[in-house]
Amino acid sequence: MSLTRYTVRRLLLGVGQVAGITTIVFVLTEALPGDAAVVIAGDQPDPERIALIREQLDLDQPPWQRYLDWLAGLLHGDFGVSLISQRPVLDMIVGSAAATVLLAAATLLVLVPLAIGLGMLAARREGGRLDRAISAVAVGLYAVPEFALAILLVAVFGVQLGWFPPTAVGTGPNLLAQPAVLVLPLLVLLARPICSLSRLTRAGMVDALRSEYVAHARRLGLGAGRRWLAHALPTAAAPVVQQLARTTDWLLGGVIVVEAVFVIPGLGTALVDAVAARDVPTVQGLCVIVAVTTVVVNLAADLVAFRLAPRTAGAR
Amino acid sequence: MTGRAPMISRARRTGRVPRLVTGVVLLAVPLLLALAGPALVGDGTNRTRPFDQAGLLGTDFVGRDVTGQILLGGRSVVAVAAAATALAYLVGVPVGLFAALTRRRWLDEVLMRPLDLLLAVPSLLLLILLAAAAPRGPVTLVVIVAVIALPEIARITRAAALPLAHGPAMEAMRLYRETWWRRAVGYVARGIRRVLLADAGIRFIGAVYLVATASFLGIGVAPDAADWAVMVDRNRAGIFLQPWAVVVPAALLVALAVGVNLVTDHLLAARPEATK
Repeated sequence: MSLTRYTVRRLLLGVGQVAGITTIVFVLTEALPGDAAVVIAGDQPDPERIALIREQLDLDQPPWQRYLDWLAGLLHGDFGVSLISQRPVLDMIVGSAAATVLLAAATLLVLVPLAIGLGMLAARREGGRLDRAISAVAVGLYAVPEFALAILLVAVFGVQLGWFPPTAVGTGPNLLAQPAVLVLPLLVLLARPICSLSRLTRAGMVDALRSEYVAHARRLGLGAGRRWLAHALPTAAAPVVQQLARTTDWLLGGVIVVEAVFVIPGLGTALVDAVAARDVPTVQGLCVIVAVTTVVVNLAADLVAFRLAPRTAGAR
Repeated sequence: MTGRAPMISRARRTGRVPRLVTGVVLLAVPLLLALAGPALVGDGTNRTRPFDQAGLLGTDFVGRDVTGQILLGGRSVVAVAAAATALAYLVGVPVGLFAALTRRRWLDEVLMRPLDLLLAVPSLLLLILLAAAAPRGPVTLVVIVAVIALPEIARITRAAALPLAHGPAMEAMRLYRETWWRRAVGYVARGIRRVLLADAGIRFIGAVYLVATASFLGIGVAPDAADWAVMVDRNRAGIFLQPWAVVVPAALLVALAVGVNLVTDHLLAARPEATK
């Protein structure tokens, strides 16, 4: 399969996924119990006011009509207005995205070199002491819930030793002003992805180093560095890149939890708050943003993986 | 496998025994507490001052004895995760099997494409949305976690069953006019049971993770429930006064996750030929 054909097929799938996800999000938020009009009307609502609000919000229209209107709005970048704060949803999302994007970017920046480096170190002597130690830790840490790890780290480094601040309370919106705040959240966010990525790198490297073409490169007299970095690593990296995209899912879940534990005002906090307050347009907007990001990241990763190793990656 | 294989496997085996022992010990403590704990403790209704140092581990945010809460709190995590895994298998395996066995291409697509869609939605997002739309309770949590695990299980079942379902043995069985049931369950389902068993451990780990995280975020459980994850969340405010109420349940959850992982990994590695 050529790269163009693969791209087209993958793009079509991505568009289908986005369309499907927006539908799922709309149906689920429609199913949220509670009436938004009653929520807005305040403590002692009278029927007339509720009816008025309902008309303002188009809640008196049939669901499919509202669905089409909502989709049309999304296409124009109009996410609607929050029921609680009466501000445009897009403004709120942009406002709270800064902290989350910062956390995610910092995590990825540390994660990728560290995980690939550890995986290659482990693959250097398969079955050696270092390999066993790295893989034992990776297997063990792999499914530890972020909040439990976060609490233990806070208890030891935040409360007992007092090295890092236990929460981000009082830091303000700009987390970079106090980088020490970021240390514990980063450690928590790194724990899970680093396990899966380093194990995948190790497995990919072990396979690639055993393969015919690397053996041939060796017979041709290529140095170990070239063989490892230029010949084995690209093949080994293809599944790693795809897994890296899948970790956006974890990273997102981790971000929601980490933001809750360390009291960071980001997208995760906004989502949990909006669901609790039944702020339907905000929930819908956040879900669409998150889902589209996930689909786009996966799409990009699949294309990169296809470019790195056309035969194996295209088969998935 | 190359000629180096025996040496590697021996080296691995020596490294695996301490790892297995660690795993079993780590797993045994929270599991025993979760299963036997509720029998050892009363109803736990007597309350004193919150975040007090009295008793073995002090009191929690509403003044209940932390020791009693810990004995009670493991059951819900383990039970919900196990039930969710079981439910996901009950639905996912037949779906995957059916998709693999059918010779109608469109039926395969109709069964599997919606699941691919579900796979693209981040799991915690799905969890929060579903939980907000459904009544609160352990049954809801079981169903939601099962729904999240379902697509992966169906995909793995289908992938494992495909080579068997369209292989020469299957053709032969068709020629002999064996019934559909004997072909599907007697041959294909039996053939993939090892793969599914090995996979079940991984799914259970995922379920424990999701259940604990959901409970921590206050999804699907009462705010004062005796549950390790809920305890971590609710007692966080008193971490400076009374750290045990937070640290012990968090440590138990970590031990459970690490233990299950180490043991599953050992079981997976012990039979590499069988699981292929």
